[in-house]
Amino acid sequence: MVSPSHNAPGLSKNMAASGRHAGHYINKNSRSLLNHLDKLLGQRGFALSSVLRQQTATLQNDSTEAIVIPRKKTWGKEAVLEALASTVNRDPTAYHYQFQDDPYLSPRTSAESKLYSMSQESGRAAAKYFVDMYPKYFTKDFAEPHIPCLMPASVALSLEEVSEEALKERIGLRKVGAAVEMYDQLVQAGTPISKQMTYDLLDLICFYGDREPAQEGEPEADQTEASAEELRRKRGRFHRASDTLRGVWRENNNAERLFRLLPEREARCYSAVIRGMVKHGAFAKAFDMYTDMLNNRLTADVDIFNALILAVPEMREAYTEKVDFITDLLNQMSQQKVQPNLQTFNNVLKVLRRCGALAKSISLQTLSEMKALGIAPSLASFNHLLAIFYKGGSAADYPTDILQELLSEIETTSFTCQDPEDVWFFSSAMKICLETKDMKLGYKVQSLVGVGDNWRLLGDSYQQGMFYYRFFSLLCLMEHVDVVLKWYHQLMPSLYYPNPQGMRDLLQALDTESRLELLPSIWKDVKTLGHDNKSDLVEELLSLMAREKHSPEVQESFADCALDIKAAFDVDRRKPSLEWSPLALGHVTTLLLRAGRIPQAWEMMQLFKSKNRIPSEALLEDFLSQCSGAPTTAVELVKLSAAFCLPATPQLAQRVLLEFDLTEDQRTTLSELESSWDHNE
Amino acid sequence: MYRGLLRTARQCAFSLHQTGALPPKCDNAALPVFRLGRSVGIHPFNTSSTSYCENKENAPAPPQLKDKEDAQKDSASLAAPTDQAKVEMTAECEGTNLPDNVPPPPQAKDKEDAHKDSDSLATPTDQVKVEMAAECEGTNLPEQGETLLKTPLKTEEGNQQKTEERQPRVKTGKESLLDLLVAMKVDVTTSKKRSKGTKIPARHEPTVTPKPAAMESTHSMFQKATVEASIQSDAQPSVASLSPELVAAASAAAASLPDPSRAESELLQQLRQHEAEPEDHKRGEANNIGNIIADMKVGRPAPRQHARSSNTIHFDEDGRGYKKSLFERKRLGIFNPATDEESTDAAIAGPNLWDTEFANLLVRTANHMPRNGFEEMIQWTRDGRLWQYPIDNEIGLEEEAAVAFHEHIFLDRHLEEGFPRQGPVRHFMELVVAGLSRNHHLSVRQKTEHIDWYRTYFQEKEDVLKEAAAFLN
Repeated sequence: MVSPSHNAPGLSKNMAASGRHAGHYINKNSRSLLNHLDKLLGQRGFALSSVLRQQTATLQNDSTEAIVIPRKKTWGKEAVLEALASTVNRDPTAYHYQFQDDPYLSPRTSAESKLYSMSQESGRAAAKYFVDMYPKYFTKDFAEPHIPCLMPASVALSLEEVSEEALKERIGLRKVGAAVEMYDQLVQAGTPISKQMTYDLLDLICFYGDREPAQEGEPEADQTEASAEELRRKRGRFHRASDTLRGVWRENNNAERLFRLLPEREARCYSAVIRGMVKHGAFAKAFDMYTDMLNNRLTADVDIFNALILAVPEMREAYTEKVDFITDLLNQMSQQKVQPNLQTFNNVLKVLRRCGALAKSISLQTLSEMKALGIAPSLASFNHLLAIFYKGGSAADYPTDILQELLSEIETTSFTCQDPEDVWFFSSAMKICLETKDMKLGYKVQSLVGVGDNWRLLGDSYQQGMFYYRFFSLLCLMEHVDVVLKWYHQLMPSLYYPNPQGMRDLLQALDTESRLELLPSIWKDVKTLGHDNKSDLVEELLSLMAREKHSPEVQESFADCALDIKAAFDVDRRKPSLEWSPLALGHVTTLLLRAGRIPQAWEMMQLFKSKNRIPSEALLEDFLSQCSGAPTTAVELVKLSAAFCLPATPQLAQRVLLEFDLTEDQRTTLSELESSWDHNE
Repeated sequence: MYRGLLRTARQCAFSLHQTGALPPKCDNAALPVFRLGRSVGIHPFNTSSTSYCENKENAPAPPQLKDKEDAQKDSASLAAPTDQAKVEMTAECEGTNLPDNVPPPPQAKDKEDAHKDSDSLATPTDQVKVEMAAECEGTNLPEQGETLLKTPLKTEEGNQQKTEERQPRVKTGKESLLDLLVAMKVDVTTSKKRSKGTKIPARHEPTVTPKPAAMESTHSMFQKATVEASIQSDAQPSVASLSPELVAAASAAAASLPDPSRAESELLQQLRQHEAEPEDHKRGEANNIGNIIADMKVGRPAPRQHARSSNTIHFDEDGRGYKKSLFERKRLGIFNPATDEESTDAAIAGPNLWDTEFANLLVRTANHMPRNGFEEMIQWTRDGRLWQYPIDNEIGLEEEAAVAFHEHIFLDRHLEEGFPRQGPVRHFMELVVAGLSRNHHLSVRQKTEHIDWYRTYFQEKEDVLKEAAAFLN
């Protein structure tokens, strides 16, 4: 902590400036910063006072251990609520809290939940947009005390004249083009511009790569999506995915122009330009700039190095060269007496991911270096480490040692978000558990999520889904089915919406443990989850049910389930629904037959005809053996078989002639069918 | 490159073994050969000494001899004659009474495990050093043809002379000469020091040993001899400073090239590197080079691991046993822990756009969806949308809290000035004040403003009131 008395003016000025910068949308952030500050101050104050009291207390009675009762304890404004919130556990049967205010909006599938949360977010964003765009309609301030976050934020330019104030406003509102224009006008008019302002402008241009930022009024959720998307793409293919998204650094853009115009170039200007260049893909230029800076006898700051480290893989091809280059940069850092921070090491580890097997020992050394410097690694560091050690599923030659070690190290640690890539840790750790089929580790990872606020680092709904999907698959593979079901019920509606693959895993788990009697209830869930239109899943379910004979009660419930499934086929849907396959038809019919529901089974036979599917012979045989008391049906069946031109027709006819008590007419029909078939042959 | 050279060096050294196996009378004959090996050894270290030293540090105990069958035999034969030589040399040293106390080598141990133990490898080294030191003291040796490479073995004065002599001959590669000299000088230091009886220092500690005072003169000489490259070599810690003249020269040179700015920056960079190099040699590596060269003499086979990249530290050696935890492995060893003053420096600089945007990104990355009603209320509290707990109905009235109640209630004092002492106006104003004192909707400032308004009003209307005789009566 800096001593407030010493640099209070500078600090407050900076704070004000930052507030200006950020406009309305930093609001949340700076407040959390302040909160943090509050807390720190509070802690310090408390510590001091307790020490003082302790001294007085020990003076009074030296012999007994002093119990210090603070005279007054000041609570944070959220303390009461936090205490209350900690008493509320997750209700595994309920949907997520954000969907609870409207029962109609209870999402039953992952797609729905995504849709609802996005629309909620976009509704908020739209309201905010209107408040901000038309502040004249929102002048009334009912609240007392005043609530700043409900009032319109200024998003439009109000100052028209050419002045430094106007420039400041343009920078604050992040109008890149307008700010540059204003700066040019000011320079032409010969108005002196303060250094701070120039630097801020340079920061702005470099940050956005001399382009306008995305629209202010854009819903926040979209941006989250975009960044998540970006991360995903980055992960998918490392190379330059970011460039296409972020645009490129153009030759001689305003940033470079402004930079050249500067009378004296401080390290901060270089920092802005180099970071901008790296961010927008001009890697070689960034290194040129760095050399230039050293030639001007300046020392770099930590941000410059962080940016340069990220650019290393673009500058060198071979793994050894990359590693050497990184080491060189780090050495330069220590030569210039620059203290690295967490981001430095995270960037190093991130770059090491692209250095092949060479990275393994170096990455561990990097971790030790962090430890030695007292920099606590964030989850992103561990994520990079895992990625280095578990390359492309080649976990076989390197078992889960690293992960195991890592987990035993951080088992009870509560992490906060310190790096945007922190959110990848859990899903990749679980992926490793799944690949190595290590259930114990899987449980460890899962319990780590439960520690403190770690759940916040699970990431967006996509990453969260992946995490639970992997965990669930692992459970299905390795665990007893009862345990699987326990977890299934614990996770299912409140945290995780299984995808079809997850459901199939569950079916397989049930199959291996021969707990097929649970299938009807699974079908219900499948229906709720909206997977009843996935034909392969439904067919797998049906084939599992139809494979063996079970006890009569089970058969009964299976038959009900089969009828339900049949209804799912029949329902007139707008979306493309299931197509009856001969197998599915056969399975349903078999199930109905086993439960002795001849009329319904007969309906199914009709369905074969109307859908132009051909039943198997075995099915017809089965059918015949079931309808022993109904000669009419039997005859019809043979007719049906003849209509399909099945080769088994004569045998069927024969069987019916022999086994059933038939009328004369029926006999003749059957003989005709039999003989005609022979004739045809 | 240096692998090949090392191989030759190894061969030479091996030949040394063989000659060493000859009767001790022949040790004069052995010396030239040895010197040859040394001469081969020096060059690679000049060019790649830095990386070599790192390798050396990182490398595990190297496979000592290629042929494992012969290993034992060789080492045995190595140990025995050198011991003899040692004894002989000690005698010689005593005669010339040069090194004060020569370390008695652990002979028995050597014989046991000379093929494994690196300590045992060190012992022959010591002997050779003793030998060297003896030479250094000027026991006149037959001058062979390659005197240049003997210069480091001479005393310092001799060294100076020799260098001056050699200068014209090696003029073409001035820099390489410089490097060479630096390396040689270094060797002298270490060998001298060792002859005083210090064992090989632990190699993992890059401790910069203070230079002997005697070396200073040599230094100055070198500096004079090579003005251009060693301009900065009087050990300024900040590397990145170039003399303005150099910069000017570089830019002048660059101006003649097609891409002046780029060329200039490259030139300058190059210059800075040159500055840095001699310093490096002078500083921490002194010991290491000494070690390596000393090791070379006795024909320590080149560690084959050097062929690999310097970065392959084997995981196995790094504590595969997992007794150590994840963080307690060997570290990069690049940075030193920050002192307090350094760390606060960075904190003082205020947040700029990059910082705020980064913070924003973090906020967006983490999941902040409330999980229950209380968490949502916490969010609202943070937004300032909710009454804070514990409930306090004076929240938002911070301004008023600074105002005592009597200022609200006893407003008569505001009537002292600008109002008549008596009469209807006074009476009216007293009523106004009484009313204001009970009004809890107005702040004190608003109340005084209210009174002020009446004051100016009555002052403006004074004429009218006087006319109506209502002002005072």
